[in-house]
Amino acid sequence: MKSLKLIWRMISYRPGLYLANQLAWLAAYLLPIAVGLVTRALFDTLSGSAQAGYNVWTLVALFAALSTSRVIMIYAGILAHVKQEFVMGGFLQRNLLNGILRRPGARAISVSPGEAISVFRDDVGQVREGLSWMVDVINSVTRSITSIVIMAMISPRLTLFVLLPLILITTLINRASEAIQKYRVASRAATSQVTDVVGEVFGAVQAVQVAVAEDAVAAHIHALNENRRQTVLKDRSVNLILEALMSNAASIGTGLVLLLVGQSMRGGTFSVGDFALFVGYLDQFSHFTRDLGFFMAHMKQTDVSVERMANLMHGTAEDLVESNPLPIMGEEIPAVPAVTRSEADRLQTLEVKGLSYMHPETGRGIESVDLLINRGSFTVITGRVGSGKTTVLRSLLGLLPRDKGEIRWNRQLVEDPAELMTPPRTAYTGQVPVLFSDSIQDNIRMGQPLPKEVVAKSVYQAVLEPDIQGMEQGLETLVGPRGVKLSGGQVQRVSAARMFARQADLLVFDDLSSALDVETESLLWERVFAETDATCLVASHRQAALMRADHIIVLKDGKVEDEGTLDELLQRSNEMQQIWSSQAAKQVVNS
Amino acid sequence: MKIPLRRYWNLLYKYLRPQAGKVLLLAVLMLGALAMQLATPQIVRLFLDGAREGLPLAELTRLALIFLVVVISGRLVNSLGRYAGEDVGWTATNALRTDLVKHCLRLDMSFHKQHAPGELIERIDGDVNLLSNFFSQFVIGIVSNFLLLVGVLVMLYREDWRIGLALTFFSVVALLVLNFTRRLAVTHLAKVRETSGKFYGFIGEHLAGTEDIRASGGAAYVIRRLYMFLHDWLKQQISAYKRHALMRSSAFFVFVLGNSLALGLGAWLFLQGKITLGTVYLILHYTELLSDPIQEIRNQLQDLQRATASIARVESLFETVPLVQDGPGTELPAGPLGLAFEDVHFAYEDGELVLNGVSFELQPGQVMGLLGRTGSGKTTIGRLIARFHDPGSGTVVLGGKRATEATLAQLRHRVGVVTQDVQLFHASVRDNLTFFRKGVSDERILAVLEELGLSKWLLSMPQGLDTVLSSGGGSLSAGEAQLLALARCFLADPSLIVLDEASSRLDPATEQLIELALDKLLKGRTAVVIAHRLETVNRADRIVILDKGRVLEQGDRATLAIDTNSRFHQLLQTGIKEVLA
Repeated sequence: MKSLKLIWRMISYRPGLYLANQLAWLAAYLLPIAVGLVTRALFDTLSGSAQAGYNVWTLVALFAALSTSRVIMIYAGILAHVKQEFVMGGFLQRNLLNGILRRPGARAISVSPGEAISVFRDDVGQVREGLSWMVDVINSVTRSITSIVIMAMISPRLTLFVLLPLILITTLINRASEAIQKYRVASRAATSQVTDVVGEVFGAVQAVQVAVAEDAVAAHIHALNENRRQTVLKDRSVNLILEALMSNAASIGTGLVLLLVGQSMRGGTFSVGDFALFVGYLDQFSHFTRDLGFFMAHMKQTDVSVERMANLMHGTAEDLVESNPLPIMGEEIPAVPAVTRSEADRLQTLEVKGLSYMHPETGRGIESVDLLINRGSFTVITGRVGSGKTTVLRSLLGLLPRDKGEIRWNRQLVEDPAELMTPPRTAYTGQVPVLFSDSIQDNIRMGQPLPKEVVAKSVYQAVLEPDIQGMEQGLETLVGPRGVKLSGGQVQRVSAARMFARQADLLVFDDLSSALDVETESLLWERVFAETDATCLVASHRQAALMRADHIIVLKDGKVEDEGTLDELLQRSNEMQQIWSSQAAKQVVNS
Repeated sequence: MKIPLRRYWNLLYKYLRPQAGKVLLLAVLMLGALAMQLATPQIVRLFLDGAREGLPLAELTRLALIFLVVVISGRLVNSLGRYAGEDVGWTATNALRTDLVKHCLRLDMSFHKQHAPGELIERIDGDVNLLSNFFSQFVIGIVSNFLLLVGVLVMLYREDWRIGLALTFFSVVALLVLNFTRRLAVTHLAKVRETSGKFYGFIGEHLAGTEDIRASGGAAYVIRRLYMFLHDWLKQQISAYKRHALMRSSAFFVFVLGNSLALGLGAWLFLQGKITLGTVYLILHYTELLSDPIQEIRNQLQDLQRATASIARVESLFETVPLVQDGPGTELPAGPLGLAFEDVHFAYEDGELVLNGVSFELQPGQVMGLLGRTGSGKTTIGRLIARFHDPGSGTVVLGGKRATEATLAQLRHRVGVVTQDVQLFHASVRDNLTFFRKGVSDERILAVLEELGLSKWLLSMPQGLDTVLSSGGGSLSAGEAQLLALARCFLADPSLIVLDEASSRLDPATEQLIELALDKLLKGRTAVVIAHRLETVNRADRIVILDKGRVLEQGDRATLAIDTNSRFHQLLQTGIKEVLA
């Protein structure tokens, strides 16, 4: 079972936390055994069948003292348990996020964020609980063995018969567990369907409102919820049947004791004290069978969760337990390492040959795209909607996993662009940039210890400074979730400032101008060009960009249709003429 | 944080009433299980005393068999009851979830700006999941366990009044102690849950921004923020659970006292010769049985405690009133709607005036081009038209009526908005276009797609209208997504359209493709076209230029275009310069 292996790795990551939890609960589990022995002695003393004459009141006091110690161990156990669960959950969540952030950025997760959140919350919870089950089961086994030994010393024959229902039941549970797995998958899927849609709908709440579709959307979510209710109930019913079987084990055991001891009790060879002990231990024993059954069932369910987590990060279970420090228990959290640049990072030429990527869902994409970019040049990739402009940029930057193609930075082959086509080499502003709930300043810095002047200059280059001046809190203004507190143009320019602040050699813009007005856009290009050796790669169909280009690449249906300077292309490329003329025509009409 | 019983009751009544039958069945099952539980210790006592007194073996065997039957059927009935409970709980919470979704969907942007979708998932799903147990188990659980408690005490009185009295005393003390301690952690747990909501908001946000994080080399920074989050959360968690542990262990301690009391008393009564040894066992058994309902009541109270935090949050969600209130309702005139802004002032919550005395008028069927820098207030004007917000002062007039006179539904049925940010759902093309509304015929959808030149695109979809789009529109280009947004809008057949940068991300070729369709579709409709760029205001009859929340200039497009002193004329020049540079 991969869950067991995973849990073992988690335990060895922080053995101290585990031991504290395990030992406190072990004591809490074993003390009832001693209490059972005291109770037996008490009954035997009362009935006069005890060999040694204990004092009744000493025994009652002992009973109270042992029970009280158990309470203290429970207190300690709860705290140790909470701490271990939390730290282990954080450990998994950190590794999950880490794994996802290592993926090609534009395809980091293949599910919706809502569904991914349910993995972070529910599947991590499942594994965490598995760890706690582990602790319980180990203690349960220890307690059971101890009690079996004691029972066998009293009556081996009876003990044997007591074990029979246990064996029967574990077999039954194993049979049933296949059903658990199936229903579990279904109920988890139904849950993520719900969280998925709820997340999407609230991400698009304005659109829903303006369509007056609140009720229709709510009805859709209700239908998904009902579907989940049914699948969850199926899942639960299997669990409840198992539970009924397991809790019956103890009762059947007690019934068997009653059936079997009639003779020996009448004869006085089996005392009421013995009976009390057997029934008490059996009850604990039933916890064992139940715990073991639950544990096995839970582990099967956990397998599903482990798989979902591994799938989410496109990794293996091994990646989930990568043992790096986890500074969340008051240790100092290390600062983000500053980006260092070497001579090799300094761009001379960037050469791309045969770059191809196909979107698996649509079968569309780009094919054999070549690029040559020299230091200080301005290259524009243009084309109609869907011609693959964005895909070229993303594949080049490793934000999409390219199918084919060679990328050479200063003639040096770049094996993993996701690792190397990042700051300080390249920086990028996407078509629909995302900001994070934080201040503008933090969004620009992204944890880098940049001098104030660099931030100020980036803000200036992005033509963001008038906005910042207008804000009461300036750079400290909070942008809200995904930057919703800013206007579309502001988000785009904060993201541009973030790009400039990376001080990268190659600036990659994907249609940066779409949310900017003419004047702001012109100002921005002007300020970019003030940097004499700025190297830019831009996806755009805007004249402002096309006219500044040293080199233009025209894409059509994912392939390079033509390339050259604007004049050359306007002369010979039909596609270029169309893109250009529709815009030019408009300008004339406007005049 | 204390929530009066009355509010629990209201919530219960509202969501359990519709399934009264199931609730009754649940009650019967629970009571049955209870009766069988009370019977078992009696059988054991009969057996033990019988064995000591030398009852015939056949009689003892009969008792043992009765014991088995009673015990097994008790468990089965119990399981059935729990299943029924789950069913009731899910049905009730689903209804609650739906109500919450409906409510939150009606809240305006001042709310949604504060709460990320990830946080709402946690509130609508996470919190309500906690309430599930509250619905399924709480009332039935508390009632049946209370009856079990009383039943056990009655049985004990039957044996000996002293033992009955002592254990009654014990039960009262136990309940008091439990009730006293159960509130220890409520506020702390509420804080923990709030942090957890924020945490998943954080995760969701960053999962949506992986492209930006990767491309900016920001992974280490994100992980560092994760650590800070977890660190604070852990501290909160520990302090909440310290109280929680105190609560639980104090409960256990009370039971220790109870058991010791029962054992001591039983031994004493036996030594006095008042009761048999079987009865001592019975007392012990019943005392332990007593701990079950008390613990169960404690558990229910504990769930209630967690549910209390959730109820408080759910209620506060329900109590959040949209700033934009429904109007009393009025019929807006048929056909294209006229639009006027009369001295409109508006500021978002943070205070700065975004619109500062804006007035303009637009005749029915006219197209207005709205120009201005980013942040000049253009988008806000669109939001005011659709009543995502209401003006601080001044009036928005639609079809000769104040916008606030119509209900929101009346108004929005007539107003269409296409924003630059197109939100697509992980759902079929059809559902994406109709927003899950039933009863929109395929012919109509196809006709609209045809008109927008999307038929060819639809043909490339493997299952046509039933093709499920990936979340966020994934495989669609921005242009295609934009076209779908247009299709959505026109499917709703509005009388007034706000186009906010609708064509900003389209390349000229694609843009041209829909120009004609737009011409056709805008015919007979009033439109406000918000644009940063001159090209998009070609079809405008009127021009309004905004600057810092004021109208800088307005007039007929044709007139302004030839007036060399006009700002609009200057802008046109800038545009042309751009071409000639």
